Amino acid sequence: MDVIQVEDLGKTYPRGTVALRDVTFRVARGEVFCLLGRNGAGKTTLLRILATQLKPSTGKATVFGHDVVHEAKAIRARISVVPQEARPQMMLSAYDHILLMGLIRGMSRSDAKARTKEIMEEFELWEHKDKLTADLSGGLRQRVMISIAFMMSPELLFLDEPTIGLDPLGRRQVWAMIRRMTKQGVTVLLTTHYMDEADKLADRLAIVDRGRMVFLGGVDEAKAVGGNGMRVIIEPIARNDGTREILSPKSNEEIVEIVQRGLDQGRRVTFQPPTLEDAFIQIVGGSIDEENS
Amino acid sequence: MKRIREALYIGLFDSLPLLRDPMLLIVLSMFSFLPVMFIYLFAGAGDTFNASLVGAIVLSLAFVGLFSAQSVYFNKHWFRFQDIFVASPVSPISYAIGLSVSTLIVSLPAVILAMALLLIGVPRPIWDILAVVAVSAILWIATLMIGFAIGASTKNTRRANSLPQVLGIVLGFLPPVYYPLERLPGFLQPIALLVPTTHAAELSKYYFGLATIPDWEIVFGWLYLIAFTAVMGLIVVRRAHWVDP
Repeated sequence: MDVIQVEDLGKTYPRGTVALRDVTFRVARGEVFCLLGRNGAGKTTLLRILATQLKPSTGKATVFGHDVVHEAKAIRARISVVPQEARPQMMLSAYDHILLMGLIRGMSRSDAKARTKEIMEEFELWEHKDKLTADLSGGLRQRVMISIAFMMSPELLFLDEPTIGLDPLGRRQVWAMIRRMTKQGVTVLLTTHYMDEADKLADRLAIVDRGRMVFLGGVDEAKAVGGNGMRVIIEPIARNDGTREILSPKSNEEIVEIVQRGLDQGRRVTFQPPTLEDAFIQIVGGSIDEENS
Repeated sequence: MKRIREALYIGLFDSLPLLRDPMLLIVLSMFSFLPVMFIYLFAGAGDTFNASLVGAIVLSLAFVGLFSAQSVYFNKHWFRFQDIFVASPVSPISYAIGLSVSTLIVSLPAVILAMALLLIGVPRPIWDILAVVAVSAILWIATLMIGFAIGASTKNTRRANSLPQVLGIVLGFLPPVYYPLERLPGFLQPIALLVPTTHAAELSKYYFGLATIPDWEIVFGWLYLIAFTAVMGLIVVRRAHWVDP
């Protein structure tokens, strides 16, 4: 069953900025769906519309079958959000934040306390429980914000660049948490600039550029956009002995031809699997070319 | 009941940082009591001093109402807690009441102290005290509305910080809040009557028996405060959005 359905969604801000144009996609239950795009591409606008924080201008979007504009109340009880650049109150502790959010959202005091402890232990925040967030590192602060979102065990989680500022271990903790949640049937929609994050987490992804969806599909499909996706590197065996060529063959015949040429020249030939970053640059670059033409 | 609980916890969430570091509470109390201290030094304990205590109540409430602009702004644009609350079952009314209650917590020490000193100096019947509480409540709501309108309209941190301070001076120190209306030159008195804090101070002084004002001015004062609050309320409804347009 689809948790999110978006059809021809568009958004023009009151001052005339067009942020989204005719976006259509679906997200299934338990899926991790990544929105990729450059700064200002429209990712956050799209996420905010689906999280019922922003009104769309055209088209239709439903979450759990409920319209995001007219039935927002039914959606809000089942979602949680980590907004972009959200930050905790410096004079409150991590424990205060998580506990109070539970209480505000209607948990009983005893349930809120128990859940706060559980979440803080899972995120390795318990040892910092009494410290003011002013005394925590940037990564720990971000973990506090993510813990707030996990507090209510949502069915759908919106994460807007959730691992910005986290160290590599902190990022992996968040990824592990997201994977654990999706195993329990939680759906995740996240925006990110980190291609490795999308590569590791996404079941499917959409690339948004200048408000348009320029790619929709799986990670491997994205990587295969530039042909078979394989890169062949021909380089001298000794350093500083000639130039280095990076080639993207379009067919198996072309691969054989390149390899033969490299070996004939006595150079080293290596294969590099395609990366999501290459695909992203190729797709977004293509869309820039289309805009300019 | 659920909504009241929601609002109180939001109020606690917003005010807890201040309660943990009560310097601002002390600064706010000192701010509104500074003129009181000078008046006590120069005029001694008497009606002028008591009237200045009324000024301290009015200014404390006006100040915290205006400073709700910072709560609204920072929760929306800096901490982004408003976005978290929007995407949750929290109601916008609970959120607004929560932020308002938080300002009340900040102003209570100064208001209670001034009220206690006044009641010691000029004991009054309960109806007069209730009238002063009602006037104070309307003024607080009016300035809250101004604060909410500023906080919801501005996207600039500096403006969210400076506007309430400027308005605090315009509403608190310039008009006859700490001093009698008659002290102003005749041509300035009608202008002072355009400022809601003038009416709040005049009415409070009247109910404490510290000023004599004509009946029409009493009625006009109440009507002006209520109308001003209603107009500010309409502006807030137009400017503040729970779901962004």
